[in-house]
Amino acid sequence: MTNLLNRFFDSQRKYFEPGAKLERLNALFEAFETVFLATGETTSSGPHVRDSLDVKRFMVLVIVSLMPAFFFGLYNTGYQSNIVSGLSPDFMSAMTRGLRIVMPLVIVSYTVGFFWELLFAAIRRHNISEGFFVTALLFPMTLPPTIPLWQAAIGISFGVIFGKEVFGGTGRNFLNPALTGRAFLFFAYPVKMTGDAVWTAVASSKETAVDAITAATPLSLASATERFSSIQDTLSGSGYSFMKLFVGNYPGSIGGTSALFSLIGAVFLLILGIISYRILIGGIIGVLATGILLNIVATEASTPWFSLNPSYHLVMGGIAFALAFMATEPVSAPDMNKSKWFYGFAIGALTVLIRVFNPAFPEGAMLAVLFMNLFAPLLDHIEVKIRLGKRIPNV
Amino acid sequence: MISLNVKKGYRLKITGEPPKELVELPKPSHVALLPEKIPFIKPRLKVRVGDHVETGSEIFEDKRNTRLKFLSPGSGQITEINFGPRRVIKEVVIKLDNKESYVPFEHINKDGLQNIDRNDLVKMLSKGGLWPLLRALPYQDIAPTDKVPPQIIVSLGSSEPFQVSPEIYLDGNTDLFAFGISVLEKLSNNNVIIAANAEDKSRLPDQSGRITHIIKGDYPADNPGVILYKTKTSAAQNNSWFINTQDVLLIAGLLKEGAYPTGRIVAVGGELAPHPGYVKTRIGAPVSHITQNENNKIKSRCVAGGIMTGYSIDKKSFLGFYETSVLILPEGGKRELFGFIQPGFNKQSYSRTFLSSINRSHLNMNCNMNGEERACVACGSCAEVCPVDIIPSLTFKCTLADEIEESLSHGLLDCVECGLCTYVCPSKIEICTILQNAKRSYYKEMSG
Repeated sequence: MTNLLNRFFDSQRKYFEPGAKLERLNALFEAFETVFLATGETTSSGPHVRDSLDVKRFMVLVIVSLMPAFFFGLYNTGYQSNIVSGLSPDFMSAMTRGLRIVMPLVIVSYTVGFFWELLFAAIRRHNISEGFFVTALLFPMTLPPTIPLWQAAIGISFGVIFGKEVFGGTGRNFLNPALTGRAFLFFAYPVKMTGDAVWTAVASSKETAVDAITAATPLSLASATERFSSIQDTLSGSGYSFMKLFVGNYPGSIGGTSALFSLIGAVFLLILGIISYRILIGGIIGVLATGILLNIVATEASTPWFSLNPSYHLVMGGIAFALAFMATEPVSAPDMNKSKWFYGFAIGALTVLIRVFNPAFPEGAMLAVLFMNLFAPLLDHIEVKIRLGKRIPNV
Repeated sequence: MISLNVKKGYRLKITGEPPKELVELPKPSHVALLPEKIPFIKPRLKVRVGDHVETGSEIFEDKRNTRLKFLSPGSGQITEINFGPRRVIKEVVIKLDNKESYVPFEHINKDGLQNIDRNDLVKMLSKGGLWPLLRALPYQDIAPTDKVPPQIIVSLGSSEPFQVSPEIYLDGNTDLFAFGISVLEKLSNNNVIIAANAEDKSRLPDQSGRITHIIKGDYPADNPGVILYKTKTSAAQNNSWFINTQDVLLIAGLLKEGAYPTGRIVAVGGELAPHPGYVKTRIGAPVSHITQNENNKIKSRCVAGGIMTGYSIDKKSFLGFYETSVLILPEGGKRELFGFIQPGFNKQSYSRTFLSSINRSHLNMNCNMNGEERACVACGSCAEVCPVDIIPSLTFKCTLADEIEESLSHGLLDCVECGLCTYVCPSKIEICTILQNAKRSYYKEMSG
């Protein structure tokens, strides 16, 4: 098998070598080849041996960690849709329905994104970085299931081009590309990105009830809670117990509803040492601390958000998903350890503050992550400055 | 005794550790000097092919400072002078005679050392061709003959894989070592740091009075640059000198006997080494002689110096002036099917992304890159292993952007060139080489 593949790639390589017809597509050939066969290149200078970890494995493991949340997302999307459409909510039909809703989005995200990635790779003659494959999976998981495919295509294009490639590609982006794409859609097509109607895909077949009423998301319920009543009561009145919110079985973005499966993915990545526990724990502390602080300052006249049990902030909306997979993206996060604590904390705190004080944006996680992405270089700069000040100079 | 705890670093668990047995090799037919492998020098040859030399005859000198002389490590006839690209002098090969004849040098005893003037001692060492064994941080160039160092660091460590354990060459040489240390004390006005690894210490011959620092930590905790970084109190100490412990014995031998010493103990290790172990041989011996003619069918790579810091060398070549180990590693280069998704129970990694992180045994490694070069993804591994607290991921970026001031403030010159940052990098960026080149070009600019 290995020999066969080796012979195949060796025989095709000549078309992609410098000077050959398809020279520009060398990145494509390289990307395709190295999926099957690991590089046979050896070291040319010391150290003579090298660590076995490479970026390919690094990114593939992130994709693996996304799988629990992704499959739950498939199920949940199908389940919510079937319930509203009056179809059978059992596991298999929910899964098939979910596949039919989500897979087109994933395929569009990968093909359109890959086109841009390849175009830039061909023009700039760099290799296709595996980071793209994570971006292109993360992006559809943050979208509402009703998003039109053409909008998804525009979103991933914006994310790949302006979130990443114009700055030099993976490793040089200062914003999270998947969230950049989502933010673009959020502001460009708010009708399809906000409101109660977008979070459940209603089957349009004739047998289903025409007057299907889609369920509200927990966050919009919380925002709509009237003064002097409690959000927890409103939620449980609508059937959203804490456990249900934790598992994520409610309408929302495709992959982002489940705190449980985000947590599973995050723990997997923490064990492997791929993501920083500082950002994750910092973020959780940020959410809880801000929630508690609001509890303390809450008066009877303030909105019900103030007196919400802080742990509810963690299980509603996309904050768990954002903390596990978006905030911990290493390139757009700070490099320095103390900055990572602050960065995570600020994302958690900002998310809660946006939810509580800004009625225009029911979910603040995306904006919080992007906002702190912008501050990451500054945080690094400050910490590096302090750290270098302690060094005995050597010039 | 001061205890130094170096927390950062990494211990490679790799097969091929040489057993601690010393074998004395017969006299080789040829020895050679490799001017190309001595950094920074500009050699001027003093001999021609066909000349007859004695042990200790001058072969070449350094044009930058003609007091730096490099002498013949054997007596015989110059048979070859090999040049490389741009006429760099690669090898000066000497065919050894059966009988050894020595150029006489001045010699002194212990009492003489107490009364000798420091300048006379410098003169003796540079005439005797062993001054180049003393090197100055941070550039690791040969120590300047006209300066007094803030301190001299002698590290008894061998934390890089497959190096000669200090107890092997100190065995029976403790007096000579003590004499060598007195020489260094004289040169540095009694500022000598002698550091030993905590785990080696119990096995060392009774030197306890002499050892000043005990080091705990993984590779490269016992590197002189790391010891300096951990002990320095002011910027004036940045120019400290260092010397390999085995070379202290050479210096002591020269001054005591008045003859150019030629003995070397070399570690032969690596998975494919046919006879792993320590060998007693000569300075500049042929590599094939040291490894005792391995005839491997597997493609192998021969490395002089350490697995991290050494350079690959032709098997027909010779061992350089500074190197004390030869490794033979499998070259690798085989392509693995779906290599990136294997569980990897036998794949060495600093990260925890392979099952090997629960495998405690030593693993086979070859020279495969294990991945393609990519842009830095800010994983932070390099900063976790850097023993001198540089943030290599940031420093190499400002180096590539020609922000030399900024990389200097990051501690570029503290870099001990241990190679760990390059080793752990998942993006396969040659960070250490980038920093090394930046250091060297800065030095050349500053001194030229």
